[in-house]
Amino acid sequence: MKTIYALAVITFKEGIRNRALFGVAFLALFLFGLNITVAGFFMRDIGKVTVDMNLSAISFAGLLLVFFVGVNLMGKDIDRKTIQLVLSKPLSRGQYVWGKYLGILFFVSVSLLLLLAFSTSTVLLVKLLYANYFIGFSFWLFWVAGFFVLLKLWVLSAIMIFFSSLTSNSLLALIFTLSSYVVGVSIEEVVYYLQTELAGQERMISDSLVSFVHVVSYFLPNLAVFDFTVEAAHGLPLSLERLILSFGYGVVYAVILLLLASFVFTRREFN
Amino acid sequence: MIEVEVRDVAKTYNPGLFKKNVRAVNGLSFKVNGGEVFGLIGPNGAGKSTTIRMVMGLVRPDVGRILFRGKELSGTSFRREIGYLPENPYLYDHLTLEELLFFAGRTSGMEKKEIRLRAEELVERLCLTDVHARPLRTFSKGMLQRAGICFALLHDPSTLILDEPMSGLDPVGRKMVFDLVMELKRQGKTIFFCSHILNDVERLCDRIGLLNKGCLVREFSRNELLQINDGLLFLETRILELVEIEQIEQLGGRVREFEGGHLVAIPTEEYFSLNRYFEQSGIPVKGGRSEWLSLEDLFVEIVQEQAR
Amino acid sequence: MRYWVRALCLSLALLIYYNLFGVVWEDRGTVRKNAPAAYILPSEFTRVLAFGQHGLLSDFLFLKTLTFVGGRSQSDEAMAEDDWLFVHKSLGVITDLDPYFVDPYMLAEGLLAWDARRPEEANEILRKGVKYRDWDWRFPFFIGFNSYYFLQDYETAATYIMQASKLPGSPEYLKTLGARLAYYGGKSKTALLFLKQMLAETDEPLLRRRLAMRLEALEGAVQIEEALDRYHEKRGQMPERLGDLVAAGYLLVMPKDPYGGEWVLMKSGRVFSTSKFAESESGH
Repeated sequence: MKTIYALAVITFKEGIRNRALFGVAFLALFLFGLNITVAGFFMRDIGKVTVDMNLSAISFAGLLLVFFVGVNLMGKDIDRKTIQLVLSKPLSRGQYVWGKYLGILFFVSVSLLLLLAFSTSTVLLVKLLYANYFIGFSFWLFWVAGFFVLLKLWVLSAIMIFFSSLTSNSLLALIFTLSSYVVGVSIEEVVYYLQTELAGQERMISDSLVSFVHVVSYFLPNLAVFDFTVEAAHGLPLSLERLILSFGYGVVYAVILLLLASFVFTRREFN
Repeated sequence: MIEVEVRDVAKTYNPGLFKKNVRAVNGLSFKVNGGEVFGLIGPNGAGKSTTIRMVMGLVRPDVGRILFRGKELSGTSFRREIGYLPENPYLYDHLTLEELLFFAGRTSGMEKKEIRLRAEELVERLCLTDVHARPLRTFSKGMLQRAGICFALLHDPSTLILDEPMSGLDPVGRKMVFDLVMELKRQGKTIFFCSHILNDVERLCDRIGLLNKGCLVREFSRNELLQINDGLLFLETRILELVEIEQIEQLGGRVREFEGGHLVAIPTEEYFSLNRYFEQSGIPVKGGRSEWLSLEDLFVEIVQEQAR
Repeated sequence: MRYWVRALCLSLALLIYYNLFGVVWEDRGTVRKNAPAAYILPSEFTRVLAFGQHGLLSDFLFLKTLTFVGGRSQSDEAMAEDDWLFVHKSLGVITDLDPYFVDPYMLAEGLLAWDARRPEEANEILRKGVKYRDWDWRFPFFIGFNSYYFLQDYETAATYIMQASKLPGSPEYLKTLGARLAYYGGKSKTALLFLKQMLAETDEPLLRRRLAMRLEALEGAVQIEEALDRYHEKRGQMPERLGDLVAAGYLLVMPKDPYGGEWVLMKSGRVFSTSKFAESESGH
């Protein structure tokens, strides 16, 4: 445990000192600023638009962090052979995988909490300016939605670790992770689209396509599960059951990927 | 006691899809005894780094066994006894040396205070005190190499495995590392390293293995190397004729080609008779040499022989 | 040993995942069903947020809209006012993102004009198609049809049909149709001709089904109207009830209203059905 923690700490420090972080923070601040300016353009539902834009900005900035900083935290280790140095210490391959993941988790969480703090103040400001339009709004829901953005990033980090353990090319790992994200975001729409089409019997859809999509939906995470933007935006009630279910889904999915990654990693060679 | 034993090991690489396999190591066997300095030399691509990575467990041999203190490599605890310096170590960009060494200590199960003391000592020893709180990305190549050595030595391992420890170092840095290795040797540590810089190998090693095309071509101790030159004088002359060479050999000398002339080895007791012969035949003596065959000569000779 | 521990952990996690998977997707189903029609950002912002991937975003939004409508009809839920607003807005944004994309226009015609009876909104979107796909005669034709059929605005209908008839590939008879519209706008026969053409030009399955149904109904109406004309010619007066037409041998059988309504003879001499040709009452 001490070993894993030590690796997590240096991974976190390596990530948090990356200059790219400034760029992402700048972008996020720009988006929040845009939100404040734009809010007045809407005639009703300013609260809703504000929540939408803030959560999107957080999510987008978080994705940039995972894809551009996070990928390097493990990929560069293997690319540049730093891993030979790390593995020369009494540290098992499995411990390496978990330590790296934990480090990336720290990194993503701290960055996202900072963004969420910025975002909260933005929302607060807009709320003060247009108090009448924030009827259903609650910060509690907003933070829940923010937390699930973070959970989504955790799952993505696990996917990234998994692909990094398969390939020694960090660019390849990035591309695979990015594709998984794109599919994960839209898989639900596709599955339900196929269902309605099938029920309607209006178009010929081959059975093999349907079963293919079904199989894909098992392998890739349904990222729509972690999207609580609509609830936060409209102040809709959220059942605890649904929160627990979504949380459990994300955690179990990440754990499976990490276990697989540590299996693969144990068998790997580092030239 | 045998520290590291490599037994009939072979390793083939698959460099990627649709490419021919590369045989890196083929039927390699050698032993490194406790407390000795063993140097592996060989031309580029001979399989030195592969061998070292196999000993570290980073690469698995296709066939053969690798033993550390008589046991197969398994688990992680054996690495507590080993300090490893990879070739051209790349360290983390944004960490400081202090943080990196702290990590090395923690993973090796050291206490915080112990780590601090040991790190201070090593950093001072390798003249990195001024920069130990700077991010590693600002380090020069030589500084990184020395930082890598600190990383390898931090937990005071009893066995050191160094891949090209002298590369990228300036003469001062090289002297620093050289002295450090000599000191570790005095402390009774086992040191296994590979290098191109034969001068260093010659001065440091108790035993030397020459690797070529994945095979151990020759193994000799420093004494053997010294013995080649023992009790002999070496004189440089012009190119000798066949008759002259025969005559010299009859008088007890030996002749070999050397830098556009010939080198004659003369046993000390035969000096006068041979000297007389030189005088009579008018063979000029251009100068004296201290050794018959340097490690470099031997190296080139063996590698060229293999190529034929 | 450690290997077995890890393998055990993995199988356990996989088991949990397998069970969770079903529950989560089921939960998503309910969540989606209860979800209010999503809000669509105005296209001015969507265009910015598309980060240059306008086409892709329009495809995605289109898919989302289709799924949304499909989900409502699958669960036999009527579309609420807000839902139609969403469809209208989202089709607007999709066609803003990619104004050359034909499918959303077809969907606008099928859903907004036929299902929602919001022909003005359909025409608003279709006019964008007329502007961008200015070589495509189907767009002015659709607007013409909507204006004639739903809005009874024969003048506008005639203008658009004339416009369509001038575009390459348009069927010959559009010219006559355009001219005819101005004079005989009120006749079922005109509508019948129109519908036949619509059916020939559409391959959107949802719209095709509606058109075919409406065509069948109209054919029935035309059949009755023609029998009425013959009756009127012979006897100089209108029958009391439509049933008299069959009794007197002017009609072999009374045609069926596919919408399930009863035929009614109006004072003007036109025939109409109690179903008002509205699908919602018969269900589907």
